[in-house]
Amino acid sequence: MYFRLNPECYLIKGRKLGAIFDLIDGTTYALDHGETELINNCENNIQIDKDNDTLKELKCIRLGNFYDNKIYVPKLKVGSPFVKDDPLVPLYPPEIHRAFLEINNSCDRECWYCGYHGVKRSLGCMGCNKWENNDEPLGIERWREAINELEDLDCREIIITGGDLALAWDKTVEILNHAVGRFRQIYLIMHQESLSSEKMDHLEDKATLIVQTERPDSTKSNHLRYLVVVKSNEHKSKIKEDNTIYDYIIAEENSISKEHPLTSKKKLSGVNMFKFLSHVEYHPCLGHSLTICNNGDVTPCPMMRNHCFGNIRDKPLYSIFEDSWERINQFWKLNLDRIEKCTGCEFRYSCSDCRALEERLTGKIDGKALCNYNPREGIWT
Amino acid sequence: MIEFRTKNGNMYAWDNEVGLFIPFSHAMRGVLNKISNHNPPSREEVIWQLKNEFPEEDVEFCYDWLNKWNRIKLKKPNYPEIHDPDKGDIEKYLLKRGFTQLLLGVTEDCNLRCKYCIYSDFYKHSRGYSEKYMNFFTAKKAIDNYFSLLEMGKRFNPLRRPTIGFYGGEPLLNFKLIEKCVNYIEQNYYKTMFVMTTNGCLLDEEKAKWLMKHDFMIIVSLDGPEQEHNRNRIYANGRGTFKDIMKNIRPIMKADYKKIYSLPVYDWRTDILKQEEFFNLKDIPQTMAVSQVSDYAGSEYYDQFTEEDRVAHFSKIEEGKIQYYQNLDHHRFKEKNTPFDALFGTAPGNELFGSISIFHSDPIRPFTSACIPGTKIFVDVDGIYHLCERVPYSFPIGNVDEGLNLDKIIKLIINYNKAMNKCEECKVSRKCNFCYQMFMTDCTISNSSEVCNEIETLRKNSFSSAFSIAEKFPDFIENSNPRHMNIKKYR
Repeated sequence: MYFRLNPECYLIKGRKLGAIFDLIDGTTYALDHGETELINNCENNIQIDKDNDTLKELKCIRLGNFYDNKIYVPKLKVGSPFVKDDPLVPLYPPEIHRAFLEINNSCDRECWYCGYHGVKRSLGCMGCNKWENNDEPLGIERWREAINELEDLDCREIIITGGDLALAWDKTVEILNHAVGRFRQIYLIMHQESLSSEKMDHLEDKATLIVQTERPDSTKSNHLRYLVVVKSNEHKSKIKEDNTIYDYIIAEENSISKEHPLTSKKKLSGVNMFKFLSHVEYHPCLGHSLTICNNGDVTPCPMMRNHCFGNIRDKPLYSIFEDSWERINQFWKLNLDRIEKCTGCEFRYSCSDCRALEERLTGKIDGKALCNYNPREGIWT
Repeated sequence: MIEFRTKNGNMYAWDNEVGLFIPFSHAMRGVLNKISNHNPPSREEVIWQLKNEFPEEDVEFCYDWLNKWNRIKLKKPNYPEIHDPDKGDIEKYLLKRGFTQLLLGVTEDCNLRCKYCIYSDFYKHSRGYSEKYMNFFTAKKAIDNYFSLLEMGKRFNPLRRPTIGFYGGEPLLNFKLIEKCVNYIEQNYYKTMFVMTTNGCLLDEEKAKWLMKHDFMIIVSLDGPEQEHNRNRIYANGRGTFKDIMKNIRPIMKADYKKIYSLPVYDWRTDILKQEEFFNLKDIPQTMAVSQVSDYAGSEYYDQFTEEDRVAHFSKIEEGKIQYYQNLDHHRFKEKNTPFDALFGTAPGNELFGSISIFHSDPIRPFTSACIPGTKIFVDVDGIYHLCERVPYSFPIGNVDEGLNLDKIIKLIINYNKAMNKCEECKVSRKCNFCYQMFMTDCTISNSSEVCNEIETLRKNSFSSAFSIAEKFPDFIENSNPRHMNIKKYR
């Protein structure tokens, strides 16, 4: 007798333990050592005892089934066939899912957590920042053209950020109006204190507003999304809930508690088949993403400004891909199999990861500091 | 769904709605039949209705799992409806994914008269041989048009690389033109991949040196050892060509040039075992692909074979497959590809993984693997554009003076889609690798209901064969898919 997981259930093994990912129900089943070995043997078509309780339970919850003979179970996949490196098969266009457009760099506030102060943030990319940068910012015409270029490259969503977009509101509106209708989704990031009902009316139906705030009690409106800045020793139970995502400020790495959502089991997200399968090849955040900084630099992320692929001030965006595709693709494909600690972890395709923050904390592009899980031992420390 | 079994008796099904295979059983078929109705019964009713046929536990499992499986199907309005293309659709597609290769048919002349050539009398819808040669005036216009299209397309696909192929007849008969074209491109444009398919008989040392100097991908039509090769590949006077080709490729192999490939062809009289042995030899170029002599629309080539030939051929195929899998370690780690790799090694992986899953097909070209015309541009000696070199000349898509004609392309796609009258009901449509070549006759496009008579049976057999291999050698099959490497780590 044999037992095999269903096509939608993936067994992912780490150095010590494994987990089953159900890509339809979106559930993760962490396995102990015995269970891991058992399921691994099953997936390798080793005969088993039909009366095994664990396997009977797996059948009960519809993760797998018994078979009289060895079978082959092709796993659920999404999208195009695998692409081999064939010189006669041309490269397809780059798939850009998300682009940050940092359209200004000016702000009158002195928020203590701003990128200007070099603060380590877990979601700095989704907040506003100003940067120490004397370069001339790109003009409106160049931004309009950049939007056209992103549309031609089939970019799915854009995130318009700054600086304080309210300080250059006419420019913001003009760029936003130009973008409307060209992408599946447009986000606009503003500080709560820069908002007014007039501005919010203007944005209605054009963009989803992400409001940066330090005041969690202000997250009342269900029509808005909030980025709440939180000190790491005041952690919430999650990374996000309802209409709020939490941007944790890391003072000292060692000050983070064991139950912190950045380092504990809470960092594991639910799976869906599109994201999970994408993460087998691509980084969960950097994959298919790029940033156009206020001065025209193109970087993988607003918080990874030291990795510059090129500048679009005097060059078209497509030339950045022509000249730097190998580098861009290295960042996009920096999935967690390539991260020193994560490569041996069974949760590597369902985990969140901020390379910008990890690089700041460890000094290495493939370093990992924010994780309490020890995949060699299979223990959350 | 389409069911099939392997040699071990295991049951599977191909779910064409999502483009995925699933394990199958009699109980699953029973449940599927019940829940596929317009007003499906409830879970309890299904269990009750099938209680005398299958164990209750199995029915419950199948019911629950099939309902779970149905949740992966994309629901409207998440995908666009099938519609006739307009100019905007065509332009958008081609700018992103078209212009993959410009293929210049530099001559219709050939120094050989290979018995299976698509320009022979066996293929009545193809052009015949002629002594026409393309001139540089025509070639230059085609090249300039191509690079101009690539330039327009850069902002849509910056990763696309120009590829220019030279085709015939025998392209080396017009070597002077090829030299001029390459020099023109290298002086006026940017890094281009050059490809040539040649019979190899005119590939003397001087030409070979020049091709290597310009980094050509050289594809040589070589069918196997002398007897096999000379059976079909002959000069007009009937003399075999093998010795001349071997003499010509020897210096290229001696120079350790990596970009030379063999392109063997086989028919029902080919001894594929001897062919495989030959291509394993060290001084024979690695195999790029292997093809069976074409049997597409209007072909009479296979009329010459008997039923005994056919049976003997498929028996050899089986023998070859057994031999291949008995020596799998050798094939995994050998230095170069041989015909058996194409026939047996990669075929199961392609069958298992080579289809688009979940997402719906292109709404303007929903069926078969037919490309959008303009994806490749084949230019004949007179400067007329065709969608590829393998289709009759009755469906031009432009010319060197006016460029691609979008109206003609639209009309071609509409007529093609109309002819695919069986595809909507076809249970293997997502697996279809047919294209225009299979359907185009002299001036019409045959309906898929005429061409695809036994397609479901043929694909079932192919599925069965692929899964039989996969059951025995799962690691080998999955190693062909690089996406599996990360998943299978530590297992």
